[in-house]
Amino acid sequence: MSEQSGDLRALVEQIAKGLVDAPDQVSVNQVESEQTTVLELKVGPNDMGKVIGKQGRTARAMRTLLSAAGLRFHKRFTLEILE
Amino acid sequence: MPIPDKVAAANRINEFLRGVVAHGGLRLKYRITVDPPLPDERDWERPEVLVELAGPDSPLLLERGAELLRSLELLALEILRLPANEHEKICFDCMNHRALRLEELRMAASVAAERVRKTGAPYEFAPMSSRERRIVHLALRDHPDLRTESQDEGGRRRVVLYPKDYKAASKLASRTIR
Repeated sequence: MSEQSGDLRALVEQIAKGLVDAPDQVSVNQVESEQTTVLELKVGPNDMGKVIGKQGRTARAMRTLLSAAGLRFHKRFTLEILE
Repeated sequence: MPIPDKVAAANRINEFLRGVVAHGGLRLKYRITVDPPLPDERDWERPEVLVELAGPDSPLLLERGAELLRSLELLALEILRLPANEHEKICFDCMNHRALRLEELRMAASVAAERVRKTGAPYEFAPMSSRERRIVHLALRDHPDLRTESQDEGGRRRVVLYPKDYKAASKLASRTIR
C-alpha cells in the first residue's frame, strides 16, 4: 500500500463518519489490485441511506472526489458501499 | 430561518475540507467566511457561510460544470444535515464561478425567450441543479407571454420554457423528442 493512496481510505472514513448517525460502525477497507484501488465502505444498517443519498447523490459526490484525488496519485479509485 | 450556529457550521466545514486537502492531496486552500459582506443590490444567493477555494487545483474543481466544487458543497451540506430549503445558506465558490455561471444562465434564459417567441415552440434547457433551475425561473418570470416549468426527475430535471398559451397536447408530443 503506498502511503499516499492510504490517505484516500482515511478521507472516505472521515467523510462517512461525518455523514452517519453511528460513526463507530463506519469502517473502510482498502483492496489493492494492479490498476485500481477499491475502497470498501461499511456503515451501520440504518446509515446506508446517509452515505448513498437521494438518488445516489452523496455516493456520487464521494466518487467524484475520489477520481479527482486519484488523478493526483495516478491511480483509479473505486468506492463500494457494502451492506 | 438562519442556520442556528453558523460558527459551528463553519468549523465542521473546515474540518471536512482539511481532510480533503490533507488526505486527498488536492492543492487547494480555502477561506470560510460567516455572514460575508454582500452588496445590497445583489439579487441572488445570499449565503450565510461562504467557502472560497483557490490554488493550483482550482481548474479541477471547475471541470465538467464545476462537478467537483458542487460535490464538495453537497458533502458539506449533508454533513451539516441542512434541509434542502436551507441549502442556499452555504455557498462554495472558486474563481468567481458562481457569479459567472449566474450571468451565463441569465444570458441563456434571454436567448431562449427570444427563440420561443420566434418559433412558438417550447425550449428545453439542459438538466440543472435546483439552485440553477431557480435562477432560470426567476430570470424568466417577468415575461408575461411565456411560462416556465420544471420537468422530469432526479439528475434529468430541467426547465422548459413555453409560450404562455401553449397547449398541453402538443406539449406531450414535444416531450417525446429526446
